[in-house]
Amino acid sequence: MFIKKDLEKLAELARLDLKANEEEKLLGDLTKILNHFEELKEVDTESVAPMTGGTEAENVLREDDENLTLDKNKAIEVFPENSGGFLKVPPVF
Amino acid sequence: MHPGNFTIKKFHEGLKNKEFKASEVVQDLFGKIKNGDGKIHSFLTLLESDAVKQAEKIDGDLAAGKEIGILAGVPLAIKDNILIEGSRATAGSRILENYVSNYDATIARKLKKEGAIFLGKTNLDEFAMGSSTENSAFGATRNPHDLKRVPGGSSGGSAAAVAAGFALGAFGSDTGGSIRQPAAFCGVVGFKPTYGRVSRFGLVAMASSLDQIGPLAKTVEDAEILFDAVRGEDPFDATSVKKDFSPENDFGKIKNLKIGLPKEYFVNGLSDEVKNGLDEAIAKLKSLGFKFKEISLPHTKYALSCYYIIMPAEVSANLARFDGIRYDRMKNISKSEDERTALWEIYFKNRGERFGAEARRRILLGTFVLSAGYYDAYYAKAQKARRLIQNDFMNAFNSLAGGVDVILTPVTPTAAFKIGEKTDDPFAMYLSDIFTISVNLAGLPGISIPVRKYKIGGELPVGFQLIGKHFREADILGIGKEYEKI
Repeated sequence: MFIKKDLEKLAELARLDLKANEEEKLLGDLTKILNHFEELKEVDTESVAPMTGGTEAENVLREDDENLTLDKNKAIEVFPENSGGFLKVPPVF
Repeated sequence: MHPGNFTIKKFHEGLKNKEFKASEVVQDLFGKIKNGDGKIHSFLTLLESDAVKQAEKIDGDLAAGKEIGILAGVPLAIKDNILIEGSRATAGSRILENYVSNYDATIARKLKKEGAIFLGKTNLDEFAMGSSTENSAFGATRNPHDLKRVPGGSSGGSAAAVAAGFALGAFGSDTGGSIRQPAAFCGVVGFKPTYGRVSRFGLVAMASSLDQIGPLAKTVEDAEILFDAVRGEDPFDATSVKKDFSPENDFGKIKNLKIGLPKEYFVNGLSDEVKNGLDEAIAKLKSLGFKFKEISLPHTKYALSCYYIIMPAEVSANLARFDGIRYDRMKNISKSEDERTALWEIYFKNRGERFGAEARRRILLGTFVLSAGYYDAYYAKAQKARRLIQNDFMNAFNSLAGGVDVILTPVTPTAAFKIGEKTDDPFAMYLSDIFTISVNLAGLPGISIPVRKYKIGGELPVGFQLIGKHFREADILGIGKEYEKI
């Protein structure tokens, strides 16, 4: 059973403020979706290797060459705040 | 003469023969967009001055007697989750409302090199999450065939722009049907290549093991030309693959491809218009001499559950980067009165207030299926089910066991639905992708082709889907090109 406390815990893990009026709707939606997932229990996955990505490619390697594709100033400019070639972040404490 | 309505080949010939100028067509199209897009809302950003400049350059090249490529001067629309240097890229989200990209996506770089022209960035469901384009933070797009109906999604803006004749072609991204489903709703061609065929570098990531970029176009031939221009291995996308591709135009060879009809896709739930459309498409293909065979993809039933576990899991990880520190900042957030630090306050407020409802829902769902205690029951189980879904296709395609070469299915259970019809019930919305998601789970190429040529103001479009073997795009494109000759 998926309850309000679970939802609040998830929201904290995901770093999301929930809006007061949406909790009930979200609980209903998520419960319905999770209930639908129950059908997977009937699938026999004994000795099935998980498909962990969209490709079977393995060990994709390339030469470790310096390859400058983005000018430093251009890279910094798109950051919301910057100063003297540095990225500026809000105080964290 | 409206070169804006031409196919790419016809446009290219006309341009080379100096029947019109690229800059004239581009200006004509911007006129058409400004007149008509107020009602449809297919574009979020127009790139008029850059487009005109680029078109004049192509005209200059032609006047100077230079050779031009097939895409030179061709006006395109690009989904707003694909980056173009110096242009805004919102991905349909408030959280990226003011973000201007400082580099080109690989596909944008390749298209620029070919001389293609970007008219603008098209609307989408926020972070490509949705099936109707109603989840865009900047308002819904409407279906040019019926303004009361959705264009599909998430590449609804790209599909609508092509259907409305605003662009010769467009690009979108497809994670669970986001190119093919809107193409079917808008009566255009939508093509999702094999996973790994086209670089995802510069695409705002939604679910990285499923996302693939592909074209939307008026014809299969155009889709093939657009695909051919952007495909290929890219050192910036480790999942991109080096594989040859050559278009198949030999009808003698194409005709021998055996087409499978999976019985699990032809069950109840199909609307009459879709059922009739499929019958028509199959009859036309039979008249061309194609042989059909009933096949079974037994795990089809579980695709929706499998997809709605794996996709949100990847979403919750990919969207963690939108933290309110990078890309854009909300003003005036400071330490709250409770125990939260200023940093936490920034995270929670930005993500809580600026992600839309569907993005938040999927982040929460993804966080849940990945969390300790539930991981094995949901995420690990879904990864195994995904393998079984892929195996179904491998078995159906197994030539040693009398398998087929191509699979034909519906694209959607119904034609375009009404705006607002499914917005309150996310699960009903999810069901509209039921025929397209398996293709992404298995990493296969799929194309949505209109059953007929649909004119604006007539009946609602219906499409059919062809699914090919891994990296055998030439098969489904080849059949599609024959089909549209009828």
